[in-house]
Amino acid sequence: MGRNLRLENLTKTFGTLTAVDHVNLEIEEGEFICFLGPSGCGKTTILRMITGFETVTEGKIIFDGKVINDLLPQKREFGIVFQSYALFPNMRVEENIAFGLKVRKMPKKMIAERVDQMLDLIGLRDWRNLYPAQLSGGQQQRVALVRALAPDPQVLLLDEPLSALDAKIRVRLRAEVKRLQQELKKTMIYVTHDQEEALSIADRVVVMETGQFRQVGKPIDIYKFPVSSFVADFVGTSNFFKGHRTDNCVNTGKRKFKVAQSGSIPEEEVFLAIRPEKIEVFKYGEPPAHLERSNLVPGRIDVVTFLGAAVRLVINMDGEEVISDVIEKDFEQRQLRQGEEALLYFPPEAFIIYRAREGSQ
Amino acid sequence: MNRLETLKDYSAPTTIISDRLMTGMTLGFLLAVLTFFMLYPVYDICRLSFFKEGMFTLKNYAAYFTNPRIFRSLTNSVYVSLITMVITTVLAFFFAYGLTRTTIGGKEIFYTISTFPLIAPSIIQGLALILLFGRNGLITRYLFQTDWNIYGATGIVAAECLYCFPNALFILYTTLSAVDTRLDEAAQSLGASALKTFYKVTLPSAKYGIASAAALVFNLTITDFGVPVVIGGNYNVLATEIYQQVIGMQRFDLGATISVILLMPSVGAFLLNYYLTKKSYALISGQARPFLQPSRPFKRWAFTIYCWIPCILILIVFASVFLGSFVKTWPYDFSLTLKHFDFPSLGGYAPLWTKFWASILDGEWQSMIAYKYAPIWNSFWVAILVAIGGALLTLLAGYIVEKKKPRGDQVLYTLSVLPAAIPGTVMGLGYILAFNKPYYFFYGTFWIIIINIIICNFTLGVLSSIANLKQIDKSIEEASVSLGANPITTFTRVVFPLTKTAFFSNAIFFFMRAMTTISAVIFLVSAKVKLAAIEIIFLDIDGRTASANAMCTIIIVIVVGMLVAMRLITGKAGLKGMSASA
Repeated sequence: MGRNLRLENLTKTFGTLTAVDHVNLEIEEGEFICFLGPSGCGKTTILRMITGFETVTEGKIIFDGKVINDLLPQKREFGIVFQSYALFPNMRVEENIAFGLKVRKMPKKMIAERVDQMLDLIGLRDWRNLYPAQLSGGQQQRVALVRALAPDPQVLLLDEPLSALDAKIRVRLRAEVKRLQQELKKTMIYVTHDQEEALSIADRVVVMETGQFRQVGKPIDIYKFPVSSFVADFVGTSNFFKGHRTDNCVNTGKRKFKVAQSGSIPEEEVFLAIRPEKIEVFKYGEPPAHLERSNLVPGRIDVVTFLGAAVRLVINMDGEEVISDVIEKDFEQRQLRQGEEALLYFPPEAFIIYRAREGSQ
Repeated sequence: MNRLETLKDYSAPTTIISDRLMTGMTLGFLLAVLTFFMLYPVYDICRLSFFKEGMFTLKNYAAYFTNPRIFRSLTNSVYVSLITMVITTVLAFFFAYGLTRTTIGGKEIFYTISTFPLIAPSIIQGLALILLFGRNGLITRYLFQTDWNIYGATGIVAAECLYCFPNALFILYTTLSAVDTRLDEAAQSLGASALKTFYKVTLPSAKYGIASAAALVFNLTITDFGVPVVIGGNYNVLATEIYQQVIGMQRFDLGATISVILLMPSVGAFLLNYYLTKKSYALISGQARPFLQPSRPFKRWAFTIYCWIPCILILIVFASVFLGSFVKTWPYDFSLTLKHFDFPSLGGYAPLWTKFWASILDGEWQSMIAYKYAPIWNSFWVAILVAIGGALLTLLAGYIVEKKKPRGDQVLYTLSVLPAAIPGTVMGLGYILAFNKPYYFFYGTFWIIIINIIICNFTLGVLSSIANLKQIDKSIEEASVSLGANPITTFTRVVFPLTKTAFFSNAIFFFMRAMTTISAVIFLVSAKVKLAAIEIIFLDIDGRTASANAMCTIIIVIVVGMLVAMRLITGKAGLKGMSASA
C-alpha cells in the first residue's frame, strides 16, 4: 500500500456557516483527483485544510497513516499551485524554482541540477533569467508548477490553477498537467469549477455541493450516470422534465414519455434528465418508422449555435425549451433550419430518472 | 513510489518557530512599545491634571478657566485654527481642482513646489514672514516704512496656511482625481451650466474629502508649536502656553491641564478626519479615469495664474529664509556673508562626530564644525536612526495588522493610528512626566528623542505600510510557506523585498520628520542633548534671527540632499503621500 491521503469526517465551520460537512475520501498514491463544484461549495476549503492554511474544525486528515491535522504547513511537504501563480516577483525564474530547495539547505550544485531538470520538464530553459513579470500567464503558471514540484512534494495541490488563463492556453496547459502527472506518478489534488476540465484531466472526480460530496467516481461514470439531478445539471448540460411515473411511462402533463426502467411503486413523482447529444432531431414529418411513437415530439428550432463539430439547437416544444446537440453532418443532411418545425426523438434508454423528493436515483 | 533519491535527504528545516508564536511575540512587543511610550505618558498627564496628592480635584481646571490670560489661549487657538482651516481648505481645493480637472500646463511644477513646506520645519514660514513683514521686515520697514507688523494672530494664520497647504492638497488631490469626471460630463451634456455642474456635482462628490482636509488642517494648526512661538508675539495659544507653564514657570500641573484641554479639539478633529477619510475612500470608484476634455482658454489661464499664487508665496518663503541667512544685516545691508553660519551661541558635543571633526580640523574650523555644529550632527544621526527604526517598526505593525490578523490586531491598529491625534507638545510633556525618573536610563539621552519621534509619527508610517501590503497577494506568502520556508525566511526573503519601495519612502518620511520636528522634542532637549530644529527657536528667541535662518537653511539642505540620494538609490522617490494626513 502506498502513501494514501485520507479524509475522515472532515468538517470546517466558519461561525454558523458549515463550509465542509463531514466528508470522507481515500486518495491513493499517484492518483489524480479533482474536486469539482460551484463557487462556495467548499472545495477550496478542503484543499486549504489539506495544505494546513486552514484549521480543521472536526475530523481527521490522515497521510501515510499519520494524522496531520496540526502539522505546520511547512512540514507537510505538499506542493501548492495557486490560481494567481504567486510567483515571487522579485526573483528570476530559476530563483523561484530554487527557493524550496534553498530553504532545505541543499548544496548549490544539486540545486542547479534540479532547476535544470525542472526547466526541461516544461521546456522553459531559455527563460531562466527572466522575471515573472516578463512571462505570459501560461508561462508563469508552468513555472509555478515546477516550482512546487522542485522539492519533490509528496502530494501536489492545485487550486484552480488555470482559471486565470484564456481558453486556448487553458486547454493546452491542462494537457501538460496531465502529462506531468502521468510522467511523475505524483498524487495530485486539483480544484476547479470547470466541469470540462475536471472530466478531461482526473482519474476520479468528486462533485461537491454545499460542503458535501454529491458523487465520487470516474469522469465517464459521472457524466453517464449522474446520481442526482444536481450532478446531472452541473456536470455537462441536461434537459429536465418533471412528471409522474407509472410502470415504464412518465406523464409530464403535456405528454407521456416511455422510459427504459420500470418503477416499483405504483405512481411516484420523478425528474427525467437527458443529455443534449442524446436527443435526435429530424425534419418535420419524416421520422424513421421504427421509433417509439410516444417519444416523438414536435417543436420549433429557435436558436442555432455552431460549436464546431456539433451544432447546438434550442428547440421550443410548445412552450418548453429543450437543448439538443446534433453532429454537424446530420444537421446538414436533415436540412434543419432556424425558425422551422422539427421532430425530436427522446430514446427511452437515454433518460436518467431521479426521484423528485431526494433528487437522486 | 519512493521520493527521488537525491532529494529525500533534504526535508524542510526542522527547527521551525511556529508562525503563531512569532506573530504573537511581535504583536506583544509592538503593543508593549505603544502602551509604554504613548498611552503611559498621556495617562500621566491626565493623572497630574486631575489628581493632587492622590485626591481627585478640578482645581487645576478652575485655575485654568479663571485666569483670563491663560483661558484666552484656548479661544485664541480655536480662532486661528478655524480661520486657517477655512482659508487653507478653499485655497487647496481650487489648487487641486486646477491640477486634476483642467488641462493647464506645468502641473508637475505646481505639485512639486506645493510640497516644499514638508521638507522644512514649520517654523520656516514664521521666519520668512518676519523677514518680510516683521519689525525689521523688508516690506514693512524698508518699502513702506510702516510700524505695522505681522506678529500675532495674522502672522500665525498666514504662516499656518502655508504650512498646512500641502497636507490639505494631498487629500483634495486624491479625492478630486478619484471622483469620476464622467459625472461632470454627464451633467453638462444634460444642459447644466459649468457653474451649476460645479455646485451640484463636483462639490457634493468631493464633500468628504473637503471635510477631511479641513479637519486635518484644524488639527495641524491647533497642535503646531513652531509657528506661534516665533511669530505669535504676545498672542498665546495652547501649544505655546503649555511650554511656558512648564519650562518657564515649572507649573507642570497647569501644563498638564492645558494639555488635556488641547487634546480634546485635536482628538476630535483627528477622529473626524479619520471617519471622513474612510467615507471619502468609499466613494472612490476603481474605474479608470477617462480622458480629460481640454479646458477652454479662459479657464486654463485663470487656473494657471491661480496656481502660481500659492507656489510663488511658497517660493518667496524659501527664498527669503535662504537669502536671510546669507546677507549681513537684513533688510539694510544686503552684502553677502557666511558669518551667520558660525552660530554664535551654540556649542556642545555630538557623539561620534565631535571627536572625528576635532581630529581632522583645527582652529576656527574645528570650533565651528566640531562643536558649534554639534546639534546638526546630532539631528542627522537621530534622523538616520529614526528613519531605520520607524520604517521597520511600522512595517512590522502593518504586516501584523494586514497580513497576520491575529487576535488583538485591532487593538494594535487603534494604538498605531492614535499618535496622529496627540499633539506633539502634549506628548513631549508626557515624556517628561512619565520618564523623568532616575531608573529610566534612557531619559535625558538621544534614545528618548528617537523613540519619541518614531512614536509621534507612527500613524502615517503604519497606514502607508498597510496600503502597500494590501497589494501583495496572500498566495505569495502561502507559496513561500508551502515550499518549506519558516516565518522569518518568508518575511525577509519574500515580504520585505516586495515592500522595499514603501519601506524606503517611509524611511524618508521619518527622516524628514526627525530633521524638522519641534513640538515634542523641545521638552526633551537639554544643554547636553541638542537638535538643529530646536536651535532655530533658541537662536530666534536670542534675537539672532539671521542665524536661525541659517540653521533652517542647513536643515533644508540636509533633507533635500537625502531626498536626492534616495532618488539615486531607489530610482524613484517624490513626496507623494508623505503629508501628515492619515
